[in-house]
Amino acid sequence: MLRLNHIRKTFGPIVAVDDLTLEIRRGEIFGLLGPNGAGKTTTINMAVGLLAPDAGTIELDGSDSPARPAARRKIGVAPQTMALYDDLGAEENLAFFGRLYGLAGRRLAERVAWSLDFVGLTERRRDRAKTYSGGMKRRLNLAIALVHDPMLLLLDEPTVGVDPQSRNAIFDSILALKAEGRTIVYTTHYMEEAQRLCDRVGIMDHGKLLALDTVDSLIAARGGKSVVTAQGPDGEVRIETDDPLAELARLRENGKLAHFRLDGPDLEVVFLNLTGRHLRD
Amino acid sequence: MDQIIAMAAKDLRLLLRDKSGFFFTFFWPLIYAVFFGFIFSGFGETPHGMRIAIADEDGTERSRAFVKMLDDSPELDVVSAGRQEAVDLVRRGKCTAYLVLPPGFGESREHMFQRQAPELQMGTDPSRAAEAGMLKGVLAKYAYQSIQDAFTDPKEMRKQLDEARAELPNDASMDPELRRALLRMFDEMNRVMDASPPEQRGLRGWEPFKVKSVDVAVQWEGPKRAFDYTFPQAIMWGMLACTATFSVSLVTERRGGTLMRLRTAPLSRWRILAGKGAACFVMTAGIAVLLLAIGVVGFRIRPSSYPLLGLAVLCSSLCFCGIMMFLSVLGKTERSAGGIGWAVLMIMSMFGGGMLPLFIMPSWMRAISYFSPIRWGVYSLEGSIWRGLSAGDLLVPCGMLVGVGAAFFAVGARAFRWTD
Repeated sequence: MLRLNHIRKTFGPIVAVDDLTLEIRRGEIFGLLGPNGAGKTTTINMAVGLLAPDAGTIELDGSDSPARPAARRKIGVAPQTMALYDDLGAEENLAFFGRLYGLAGRRLAERVAWSLDFVGLTERRRDRAKTYSGGMKRRLNLAIALVHDPMLLLLDEPTVGVDPQSRNAIFDSILALKAEGRTIVYTTHYMEEAQRLCDRVGIMDHGKLLALDTVDSLIAARGGKSVVTAQGPDGEVRIETDDPLAELARLRENGKLAHFRLDGPDLEVVFLNLTGRHLRD
Repeated sequence: MDQIIAMAAKDLRLLLRDKSGFFFTFFWPLIYAVFFGFIFSGFGETPHGMRIAIADEDGTERSRAFVKMLDDSPELDVVSAGRQEAVDLVRRGKCTAYLVLPPGFGESREHMFQRQAPELQMGTDPSRAAEAGMLKGVLAKYAYQSIQDAFTDPKEMRKQLDEARAELPNDASMDPELRRALLRMFDEMNRVMDASPPEQRGLRGWEPFKVKSVDVAVQWEGPKRAFDYTFPQAIMWGMLACTATFSVSLVTERRGGTLMRLRTAPLSRWRILAGKGAACFVMTAGIAVLLLAIGVVGFRIRPSSYPLLGLAVLCSSLCFCGIMMFLSVLGKTERSAGGIGWAVLMIMSMFGGGMLPLFIMPSWMRAISYFSPIRWGVYSLEGSIWRGLSAGDLLVPCGMLVGVGAAFFAVGARAFRWTD
């Protein structure tokens, strides 16, 4: 669906994206993971044609280029900033952006109604966006990206600053979109979101792609061992193991297991192993 | 085109929902036009002449007749007072000047051939020298008028001649040669009067010169009503406010992220700017049409040509779209864009006739005004409202407006920052 071939982007002396190559497959949720400043947003901006790469090429749906305005009809973008008009209602915002994508008449009305319903804002559709909570604005931000029915969705940190309830609602929406067959690129620096949602993950740091695979494969390859922390008569013991269940059974047989905690490997550990630092550093 | 219309409609909707923005684009200019229109029309004032206080210390029939003559004149508004009261009236600014008719004033009018003229005392505020000069001229006019009145009465003239003739021998200081010449002149004047038919005796029918009266009103090249020039100025203020508002809105879109979203839509950059320009154009033209409609219906503005007025509005609106684009690149934040924008527009307005009507500006300021697009906007609007300009006359101002607008738009669009 989207292919980035050896793209590079610099801002003065800063290399924002350095020789990045990746392919987003049709129908998958692809997570682009990395700390702030890793180059995720620059990559997204190049993918939607906002920025031209200094080197490399970007192909959309075969051979189209997102730099061509007409090609951008296939893409929906929910930027990290709330890109909406506060003095317009949700319905007016959606209708306006729908018109920009060539929708009109009945089709426009249907898509606006669908988008409002999808993000749960139908009841508040006439209220001005400035009266919405942060979570509602995030949902409207997502709805605007969907109003023209794009096949590729680029969601840039879509859960920043929202309450847990709205976050879960956004997760449900994203999974529902995947079920409809849409392709989703999801950038985040929350590893648990990527683990929960993404089929594949690319980990970026300092503009480079450090690893690219499914979540399970990355964890298996780079996540290290599980850690069993057990509390017994001799005090606390911490054991790193590839087979935590076997280790727990052994501790129980030896009578050394009163309480335990099991920490499995996760993307945070993967990132730590790849870069030597935590995602949120 | 649908996309440009959609963007323009969205901007107009946003502006109409911004109460303070709409106040400054529509209500403020309307208040300006009406307020200054009434002031320049002399609303609440009745026309009157220069107000002077006269202390008639002579109190004779002739002095009272002179005071009445002045009071009846259109140039003066006379207040009778004692000498001290008259002085106080001038000191307090209630009167422009005071005049004292001294004792003997009336008698001196009966002996006009006396060499010693009566002395009138005139007091004025030194800071009002121009009005004092005008008052001297008015007094001279009515003094000669009283002489002319006296000499057009044959009896009065013969009486004056006889009295003067009788007094000549008593004046020992007079040169004998001059006395003889005057006696001969008085005798000749008496003979002329005796020989003249009764209807031509005295100086009846004599005029120092003939004055042909012309209607100055039809030659006046200024506006017929104050609203004729306050409304064009108000339209400029409305356009200035629209320009400032839309230039800031471009910065707001950039900083708020909606510009980025517009750029991810299937739109070229020029369409995005064209949408903003179209909104600015519709708003500026709409404000102008609305204000003009109010002017025509409510304040009796009668444009000399509606098609040319439409052309002037069209060209002015195009010009301000270009200026809007240019101003939007001058500031990085909404605050700086708004501040710089208004500063630039204020200077343009100050020297372009947006604050002072062009026709009352001093010549040096009028020369500078040619560099302000507001001057061309005001001139083109006035041209089609009261100056009676032809289509050919409007070519230059309209051409300037479109040219300046295009140049500003091109520079602004090229320098526009698409990202923060």
